[in-house]
Amino acid sequence: MGIVQPRRAAAEVSDEDFKKLADAVAQLDQKVETLQQTHEKDQETIRQLQRQIGKTKAIASDAQQKADDATQKLQQPVNPMVDLSNAATHNVVLAGDAEIQFGRTTGQHSSFTLADFAPIFLYRANDNILFEVGFDIRLQNGAASLQNNQTGNLGSQTSVDLSFAQLDYILNDYVTVVAGDMLLPLGTYQERGAGWLNKIPDDPLPRSILPSSGVGVLLRGAFPVGKAGDSLTYSIYGVNGPSSVDGTGNSTYTDNNGNVMPNLDLGGNIGITSSGNNANLHNDPSGGGRLGYFHAFKPHYDFEIGISGQRGEWDNAGNRDWSAAVVDAAVHVSPYFELKGEYINTWVETDDIGTFKPNGWWIQGSYKLAGLGLEMPYISNVELVSRYDMLNDGLGTKTTRTTAGVVYYFTNTLQFEGDYEWLRSRGPAAVPDSAFILQLSYGF
Amino acid sequence: MHLPTSLKQRLAIRVGFAVTAVVASAFLLSAGYAGEGSKSVKPPEKTTESQGLSGADLYAMHCNRCHSERYPKEFQAAQWQTIMIHMRVRANLPASQAKEILKYLQQESGS
Repeated sequence: MGIVQPRRAAAEVSDEDFKKLADAVAQLDQKVETLQQTHEKDQETIRQLQRQIGKTKAIASDAQQKADDATQKLQQPVNPMVDLSNAATHNVVLAGDAEIQFGRTTGQHSSFTLADFAPIFLYRANDNILFEVGFDIRLQNGAASLQNNQTGNLGSQTSVDLSFAQLDYILNDYVTVVAGDMLLPLGTYQERGAGWLNKIPDDPLPRSILPSSGVGVLLRGAFPVGKAGDSLTYSIYGVNGPSSVDGTGNSTYTDNNGNVMPNLDLGGNIGITSSGNNANLHNDPSGGGRLGYFHAFKPHYDFEIGISGQRGEWDNAGNRDWSAAVVDAAVHVSPYFELKGEYINTWVETDDIGTFKPNGWWIQGSYKLAGLGLEMPYISNVELVSRYDMLNDGLGTKTTRTTAGVVYYFTNTLQFEGDYEWLRSRGPAAVPDSAFILQLSYGF
Repeated sequence: MHLPTSLKQRLAIRVGFAVTAVVASAFLLSAGYAGEGSKSVKPPEKTTESQGLSGADLYAMHCNRCHSERYPKEFQAAQWQTIMIHMRVRANLPASQAKEILKYLQQESGS
């Protein structure tokens, strides 16, 4: 059997050429393989570069974030304790009251006796900080000096008193820090009963033996008890306290006109003397506080009782103390009936007459005729009010007073008050006789 | 008419007792009537024991203790927030109750 050999095409390709061609193909294969390896290396290089680019981007992004954080920190206030979530919520509210009063005391001329504007400015810095300041602006007759040290009336004067100016800082749910010139929680009348809140135009007599405000610091708070609205409240404070007019511990001093006046000053002593010297009138501050309990049977049916006191030195030498104790109570039975009062006792140590004890008490009841359910608006807008108060100045003068009056509510904040006061006063410092008082009050 | 001082004092005491008697009588009259609610008092929202008292309940309970009722629409929400700090400090109200009252006043203020 013979093998058929392919015939070379036309014998133009020699064996040598064929070999060259085969070598060329082999070289091309090698080059392709080399190129493929190079391509794989290039792709690996590209992947590495892409990874590096990613890392670079992350570094750049991180740097940008750090730069933003640094910028934000620079824009924050210096004090790191400030919680910025509470900032920029400032709000100002004007509250307060205004009164005009007409009256007549037995044996004296009747007259418009008072024009009073008592604004309260409330400035809320944030959810926890409030600054509040109250003024009492009154118009009264001006004074003229006459011969022989006599005084006449000339023109009018406007008096501006700072009733209180305090900063309230809510530390937490149970502690609020109050600092400044504060209404004192000796009983509840001064904080809750003054101005248009009271249903009788003048204050109970024994409130005159207590300071209305004090300069210092107070901590207060309340703890809810149960779920019916009960609460236990506390207040504790330190203030400069009372002082002596002439600096001594004597019970009285004599003024330029020869008048013998009480030496105990309940309303001053801010630690700066009248000559401007920066010196406290006596060394140690007075301390005081109040503990109260409020019990609610249901809305409008409740009672509250509290006990409060203050003690501290009052003469410049710091040898004599002034002390006070107050028991207060209030009862509400229905939205119409209220009964409240205070018992006040004070002790004044002196150099010349030992310890004397000004004291007194008052009780006030009121009833809104709306409780009768009559379909008569003019009757339903009336509230009847009555008060009995007593003051013993501890130096031989005793005063008792019975007051009966009505309140007519034109609106919830505009009210007319009319009262007659039967007053009995005996002793060396007896006060004027019975009086009637009419007052128009507006609360805002 | 000029009366002797002692007579005036006796008269004053009697009038004082009379007024007190009127007030007490009116109170007793109201005890049966006053029962539940007044036209001037907003009816409280329903509450449950687990939730405690509502803001409306607490508002009715605390605010009228010292002053006439102030209506929620008298002030805006931000103003109520300021006023409630003032009242919380002045009346020494528990924080949780003051917050409920504020929530009620702000909701009802419409602002």
